[in-house]
Amino acid sequence: MQCESVTSLPVCPIDASQTDPALPSPPPTPRFDVSNPFVRKLEGFGPLRDADRALLERISANAQRIGPRVDLIREGDTPDGVILIMEGIACRQKHRANGARHITAYLVPGDACDLDVALLTQMDHTITTLSTCRVVRLSLDLVKRLMDEHPAIARSLRISTLVDEATLREWLVNVGCRSAIERIAHLLCELLVRLQIVGFASEDSYEFPVTQLDLADTVGLSNVHVNRSLQELRRQGVIELRGRTLKILDHHRLKSIAEFNAKYLHLGTQAAA
Amino acid sequence: MTMKLQPVQIATGSNDRESRLVFEDGMLVAVLVLLSGEHDAHAGKWFLEGGFGPVKDVHAPLFDDLETAKAWISTQLVDITSRD
Repeated sequence: MQCESVTSLPVCPIDASQTDPALPSPPPTPRFDVSNPFVRKLEGFGPLRDADRALLERISANAQRIGPRVDLIREGDTPDGVILIMEGIACRQKHRANGARHITAYLVPGDACDLDVALLTQMDHTITTLSTCRVVRLSLDLVKRLMDEHPAIARSLRISTLVDEATLREWLVNVGCRSAIERIAHLLCELLVRLQIVGFASEDSYEFPVTQLDLADTVGLSNVHVNRSLQELRRQGVIELRGRTLKILDHHRLKSIAEFNAKYLHLGTQAAA
Repeated sequence: MTMKLQPVQIATGSNDRESRLVFEDGMLVAVLVLLSGEHDAHAGKWFLEGGFGPVKDVHAPLFDDLETAKAWISTQLVDITSRD
């Protein structure tokens, strides 16, 4: 199973509010859809008013379902909006002339790409779905109005951009000075935290619709080395992979292997607001 | 050019152990490892565990047999020679 491409399916939201004490408490009488990952993510960075939540829900409604391995925008294209992932996993990737590629970021539910993309005349990388996704394209004009007229939303979106950059730095460290098993362990730890924030992971499990080849191109390893690392993590009783569901059996050990510290995800920003 | 293979066991930290050191004109140019049953559909194929000089390629294909692997390694060596 480990060497086969895993057929991608939508990542299904899991209500983590009962299991993760780090998540913000739901309001006593929820008047809004607490499962909206865009709202959940931005609320993680700072308090939002009801009007802000309502606005975010309105603009993220009617997401379009897009199958796996579809380019949402390609390197060289003129940016025509900000892509928002509401379900599934997409990625940023760069290709070499010889066909080799490297994945430089995963975009999970609630992630919006490149707020200031309107300042650029062309994309320097490609954004592609890895699994089936639900995607919204926010017009550049809408994003400008969000930033100009809704300070709380603007603040959270800016923090989100900083976190994207911090995550990229962490990934550089990953490929630059971590071993094969450490790279994989780090990525699995990061995804647990990111997916928990938006309600797409339980305390210890999440849907992981990423093929082993995608994983190899993410962590800069061969497919064989990725498979060996996953097997080793299984042998040690650290993870369990059943179909597309990843279960972390020994979170402490996984974090220890990866030297994972979630500080770069800046989850404490809300408390500091 | 003469290519010779030397059987060897390698501690890869996995069940992939059976290996071949590949020498070209007496110089070690590559290490091939036979993929174990852990690799399911790819079990029984040969993996370039390590390549030296022009044979180093993180995107090398998996090889169905040693003859195919030798042919690919020869191509890599010839390619670099022709660029010189």
